[in-house]
Amino acid sequence: MRENIFSVGIDIGTSTTQLVFSKLIIENTASIMAIPRIQIIDKEVVYRSDIHFTPLLSETQIDGEAIRKIIELEYRKAEIPFERIDTGAVIITGETARKENANEIINTLSGLAGDFVVATAGPDLEGIIAGKGAGAAKFSKERSCTVVNLDIGGGTTNIAIFKNGEVVDTACLDIGGRLIKFEDDQLKVAYASNKIKILAKDIGVDIQVGKRLSVDEVEGLCKRMGDILAESLGMIPQTTLLQEMLTGTPLKWKQKIDYISFSGGVADYMFNKSSASLFKYGDIGILLGKSIGSSSWLESSKVIQASETIGATVVGAGTHTTEISGSTITIESSILPIKNIPILRVNPEDEELVSDQLSCKIAERLDWFRLENDQQLVALAMKGLKNPSFQQIQQLAKAIIRGVEEKLRDGEPLIIVVENDMAKILGQGIHAHLVSKRDVICIDSIKVDNGDYIDIGKPLANGKVVPVIIKTLVFNY
Amino acid sequence: MISEQVIKDMVQQIVEKMVMDKKQSDEENYFTETDTNSQPRGCMDDEKLKDLTEIKIQDYFTVSNPENKEAYLQLKESTPARVGIWRTGPRYLTDTLLRFRADHAVAMDAVFTYVSEELLEEMGLFSVNTLCHDKDEYMTRPDLGRKFSEESIERIKEKCIKSPQVQIYVSDGLSSTAIEANIKDILPSIMQGLKNYGLKIGTPFFVKHGRVPAMDVISEVLDAEVTVVLIGERPGLATGESMSCYMAYRGKVGMPESRRTVISNIHKGGTSATEAGAHIAQIVKEMIEQKASGLDLKL
Repeated sequence: MRENIFSVGIDIGTSTTQLVFSKLIIENTASIMAIPRIQIIDKEVVYRSDIHFTPLLSETQIDGEAIRKIIELEYRKAEIPFERIDTGAVIITGETARKENANEIINTLSGLAGDFVVATAGPDLEGIIAGKGAGAAKFSKERSCTVVNLDIGGGTTNIAIFKNGEVVDTACLDIGGRLIKFEDDQLKVAYASNKIKILAKDIGVDIQVGKRLSVDEVEGLCKRMGDILAESLGMIPQTTLLQEMLTGTPLKWKQKIDYISFSGGVADYMFNKSSASLFKYGDIGILLGKSIGSSSWLESSKVIQASETIGATVVGAGTHTTEISGSTITIESSILPIKNIPILRVNPEDEELVSDQLSCKIAERLDWFRLENDQQLVALAMKGLKNPSFQQIQQLAKAIIRGVEEKLRDGEPLIIVVENDMAKILGQGIHAHLVSKRDVICIDSIKVDNGDYIDIGKPLANGKVVPVIIKTLVFNY
Repeated sequence: MISEQVIKDMVQQIVEKMVMDKKQSDEENYFTETDTNSQPRGCMDDEKLKDLTEIKIQDYFTVSNPENKEAYLQLKESTPARVGIWRTGPRYLTDTLLRFRADHAVAMDAVFTYVSEELLEEMGLFSVNTLCHDKDEYMTRPDLGRKFSEESIERIKEKCIKSPQVQIYVSDGLSSTAIEANIKDILPSIMQGLKNYGLKIGTPFFVKHGRVPAMDVISEVLDAEVTVVLIGERPGLATGESMSCYMAYRGKVGMPESRRTVISNIHKGGTSATEAGAHIAQIVKEMIEQKASGLDLKL
């Protein structure tokens, strides 16, 4: 029993906008005599769009209308109707994510692209998605090693470290190929980001819009940008400028990194020997790539070829954002899909508590959560138990009901996400003890944390599993 | 000058003395240890022996100097096969060999012990026997493990509700250990699920010396729509606790095996008993809706 799911990935980056359509193949990999185990067994990109420049109305506004046209055009060219799309993600990355109307654009687009295409953003997520799309996660899993992927785009460099296939750290830097734009091939500056001006000042280069830079000056800037990347990885001593260029927290990973891979548009020019015009895109991208590719700090490290470069983020968004829940779950398909449900995770210590105390903790956290967020729906998440006894399940079900039921309005569903394989029995236990009539969704084999949002799609494989997309991960230690 | 021979002799003497001393102190230790017990010499109390099967086989790793231990252990997580156990020459290490025999002993125990009366009492299950008189007969005469005496059938009829939608019973099969390990969690879990679906459940009981097709007799005798048996699986070296659940819609004696639906591998290293229970309840509901089981049932 095989089933195909069609997925779309849309990446609206600092410089380019791209789409990919991919086919995810799911299959029950368990024997006929066992409890089903439905998994994604293969992923295949079936269509790649052209690479479009991201249309902007001004320095602070994205041209939503133009993007909508690009998307409609590519759907037509791919001959894939909107209704065919089962899942997918729109990601808005780099500098584009900081534009004033980014939120509004991405939400309209996700609705346009398909019923269960979700909007995602956030520098940590960008790095993870790009690292997966670039094949770094897979490589680290297959070789049981640690790989860092640097996705160097137009506006930002997103770093993600993978160990044995799992993300262990992320960071984001204001380093990119389109942070300086030129009016002409005489290197007359048309645009320079604020961060790049700070970097330029640090090495004594004065950038002003309308003034020319020399090739030497641009080379100096690119070298310094490359060095910042090396500093962030701890490969060369750190300077105070590093802090300035980080958009969030620095990498905390102190263990060995076995391999480096590079993705993003800039990566294409790192080892490209061709001496074609360095400034043909009117920016510093090509030179930045060449500069990083020839830097001395790179000589001592093992570089692996990314399976995707400029397309890493879009392929990641299209093929690596959808997960499949466990195959024994409790759902109510009439209320699916549900989108943008914030996660409220029960503290690991609290999970150990006896029933009464646990329900107090859940109620307390729910009250606190409601104060901070005006959103009503919330998914309660926990690790859950391995091999729970029937008694433990009943206690837990009652504790959840006592903690949550009074806080929910009539008709609001009770949504629970657990890591360990126990969702069907927990859902059953909740149904058995629930006083009010209420839909219950209880899914497992999904790992989420506070700060995440979850989207749960319509069931697949004859109702056995649901596709799940987890968004805006806040990476905590 | 000291001659070579003299040196040789000296070395030999020293070595001999060392060996003797060691032997003596070992023996002294041994005796002081065993003397405190009233055990005969050379015997050790069983309680003091470490249980070799306590370590999960997936965590059992004796490769010396592994290139990447973490990666190896991750691979081992996916199988109970004995890999990463190292060797001495072409043979097992003593520890591995003992572990192998210990696991085999677990399997033997699972087959040859009985489910305790206390457990059956606690679960409120009355017990009936098939035509087998003891384990030996049970092992050698599979045909008798699927039949009941007239008295047993009368007892079942007398104690159970007639014509239930779902008749569940428990049977030792080839592993009493599996029943001991799982029944307290799986039985209430299935019952709760069936109750949630609003199904009429029969009286559960226990069948000693039971083979799977005994369920067909029970199905006919009680006129059950769906019959469910929870039965111990033939144990292997991985676990003795694995249990199966066989289900049939309108089971009949002599019906083709393809009409049975089975969920196997229920134990703490496979599917947990409670989660399996909830899954089984849903399958039973499907059987009643589709009026089918086995290959005819579309899940």
